[in-house]
Amino acid sequence: MSTDRIAGVLLQEVYITRRSLEVIVDLFYTSAVTVVVFGFVSRFLVGVTHQNAGSYLILGLLLWEVIRVNQYSLTVGSLWNIWSHNLSNMFVAPLTVTEYVVAHLLSALLKTFVIFCGISAVAAWGFHFDILRLGVLNVALFFANLTVFAWSVGLVLLGVIFQVGTRIQALAWGMIFLFQPLTAAFFPVTALPPVVRAVAYALPPTYVFEAARRALDVPGVNWTSIGIASAENLVYLAAAVGAFSWMVARSRRSGRLARAEG
Amino acid sequence: MEMLLEVHDLVKVFGRARAVDGVSFTIPKGRIVGLLGPNGAGKTTTIHMLLGLITPTAGRIVYFGREFPRHRSACLQRINFASSFNTLQGRISVWENLAVFARLYGLRAPRAKIESLAAYFGVTALLHARYWDLSAGERTRVNLIKALLNDPELILMDEPTAALDPDIADKTLALIEEIRRVSGVSILYTSHDMHEVTRICDDVIILDRGRIFAHDTPLGLTKRIRTATLTLTFDGDRAVVERFLTERGARFRFTHPFSVSIETTEQALPSLIFDVATTGVWITDIDVKKPTLEDVFLTIARGPRRVD
Repeated sequence: MSTDRIAGVLLQEVYITRRSLEVIVDLFYTSAVTVVVFGFVSRFLVGVTHQNAGSYLILGLLLWEVIRVNQYSLTVGSLWNIWSHNLSNMFVAPLTVTEYVVAHLLSALLKTFVIFCGISAVAAWGFHFDILRLGVLNVALFFANLTVFAWSVGLVLLGVIFQVGTRIQALAWGMIFLFQPLTAAFFPVTALPPVVRAVAYALPPTYVFEAARRALDVPGVNWTSIGIASAENLVYLAAAVGAFSWMVARSRRSGRLARAEG
Repeated sequence: MEMLLEVHDLVKVFGRARAVDGVSFTIPKGRIVGLLGPNGAGKTTTIHMLLGLITPTAGRIVYFGREFPRHRSACLQRINFASSFNTLQGRISVWENLAVFARLYGLRAPRAKIESLAAYFGVTALLHARYWDLSAGERTRVNLIKALLNDPELILMDEPTAALDPDIADKTLALIEEIRRVSGVSILYTSHDMHEVTRICDDVIILDRGRIFAHDTPLGLTKRIRTATLTLTFDGDRAVVERFLTERGARFRFTHPFSVSIETTEQALPSLIFDVATTGVWITDIDVKKPTLEDVFLTIARGPRRVD
């Protein structure tokens, strides 16, 4: 066994880690976000005797998956074309960028719906948590709002990928986790420090998660929270569409769209 | 003559660099036009602008009499693209890939079209293989099927034989020639391989530093270099030949004690051979190397002023 050769491989690891956003996001960033999320969860759970406190976790997880799967499907769906060097082939067909995005949004919606139904069934049968306790209308409103938020984030990330290529591909599946603590997915917003709370209230999912937890305790639709979430979502979606269009036009001008896969 | 593509004063500026600088050309129906140039000449940028992947800084692109990209979808419906640098989705089968593109081009009977093209290109047995399991040659054939799915009137080909071994490249060229013969499709063809371009192109555009340096037939371009290399093998006194050529002011070098290569012009060839023969040596072999498109290309790549 040679220490030189082991050092050589370690050196390569250092170089790769320094230059790979994938490694940084998948290892360091994910670990950091997980610690932050479960730190807040622990803070909330200490001394809590609320009967539904345990349910908050599984409820938050089920609803969180609506965001994650939608966003992942929208963004990584395009990465498959980039990884295969097929994106140019798609866009030199009569396909427009709008048609391409609409197809991916529909695909994301369908996958999310199927997965949400599946994991909800697992939660109901395996862990006696029936999400329909919240009411079908509530679940539909939560699903719709979380989907629109995920699409907004996904569109911006897709625009960034078209701009800079696969260098930032790790953000396609990692970026969304930033919103897990910020939207108070698994714990009440009051568990967040006041400064972070202000950020949380600027994000539509926060109102959805709050309304969902409340619906566990008090049946009925919290129209105020849903109204604020929907209004914020409209703003976010409009901004995301604008940003996406601008980035696509810019990447066509700069030639980066053509080079994204290269 | 019907023009399928008209390019007027196309310009692309990246920062301070003018990648394409006032390029204009046309592609008539049924012609194969080669786009040649050294690395960085602007070939791929031009192709990408023609496909709408890059927005031009200035200039006009007109397909079938319609402005591009204003009528983007209508224009792209009638053209297609094949490149060795763009592949199809690796994880799905050849059939699935082609079915996707058949839908993108709005084919009414995709199954029949895919099957007939697969049979034509000899890949029927591969239709259900995953694309990334195919060899380079098989992928090229599948890419050509993709490029023909919509019965295009014009195909843009960006180095379609790059990365292929000479045998597969030759077969691919034969297929392209066959496609052209059968369907009458026009092709804009970029390549670094001069033999390919000489073989299949009717016209050649040579780009250099973003500008059109020359636009002619392959023969017309080679005629721009007037020199030819005459190699004479002889039986006799080498010193006599050497003295004769020196007195004549010829540029020559002996490649063998009894073999001399002389740089001359095509017009001067007959008299030169005759004059050498009059020195008393016995000429046993004559070989004339005329300039090729490769010579033109290399001359341009190494300095534009050296061509005509």
